[in-house]
Amino acid sequence: MGDPRNRQYTNGEITVFWIPSKCIHATTCFRELIEVFNPGRRPWVNMEGAPTRRISEVVNKCPTQAIIWKHNSDLTSEELAAQRHVTKYEENPETITENIEQPEKPEIVENSTRIKPTNIRIMKDGPIVVEGKFKVIGADNRELKPTQMTSFCRCGDSRSMPYCDGTHRKVGFTD
Amino acid sequence: MDDNNALFKVFANGPLEVSGNFRVVNSAGKIIVNEGPVYLCRCGGSSNKPFCDGTHKSNGFPD
Repeated sequence: MGDPRNRQYTNGEITVFWIPSKCIHATTCFRELIEVFNPGRRPWVNMEGAPTRRISEVVNKCPTQAIIWKHNSDLTSEELAAQRHVTKYEENPETITENIEQPEKPEIVENSTRIKPTNIRIMKDGPIVVEGKFKVIGADNRELKPTQMTSFCRCGDSRSMPYCDGTHRKVGFTD
Repeated sequence: MDDNNALFKVFANGPLEVSGNFRVVNSAGKIIVNEGPVYLCRCGGSSNKPFCDGTHKSNGFPD
């Protein structure tokens, strides 16, 4: 915490924390649950868009923990003080959403004698998401900072090349 | 390649070269390639996405 860009959102039951510095724009959250996570809206998180169970399920899929959640009973006093808006979500079957085109994760065949290949996912109309052990050599032939997960720009317009910065959405990049 | 599985090489004003131990999965979850080297489009203009087709040379893609 401490980053002024961090945000928290609650429905009175759980609180979702948004830590933008950790986001690699894997787009998992809004592909699964646009009713709650909609980057085109302000605020971009609408805690009333789906039931608590569904929100926590999708938050758990965030690959970088740029969004995490906590039960409100587990909040620290600082987190409680930061709570801006508390509305109880009312269960309404019409707002329960179905999965939107979530790519199936391929079966990973574990074999102790073989090293697991680095997983490179092409996100629809989005970046190249990389997970596993890998090395990146920049355009200047120098090795870039090692990470376990990153996303490369595919739209050509990122301002933090070679990485994705979410610009593909603004420019309307399509596959 | 020491203990790294895949090697990514960013080409200035060009594609991303991938080699080593990796697999590329499309948005439907299907493995489309697992042998390198492959060249992935970075300019956004390829007609053969996600692969490079050389379009970056003609669309003035700068890093």
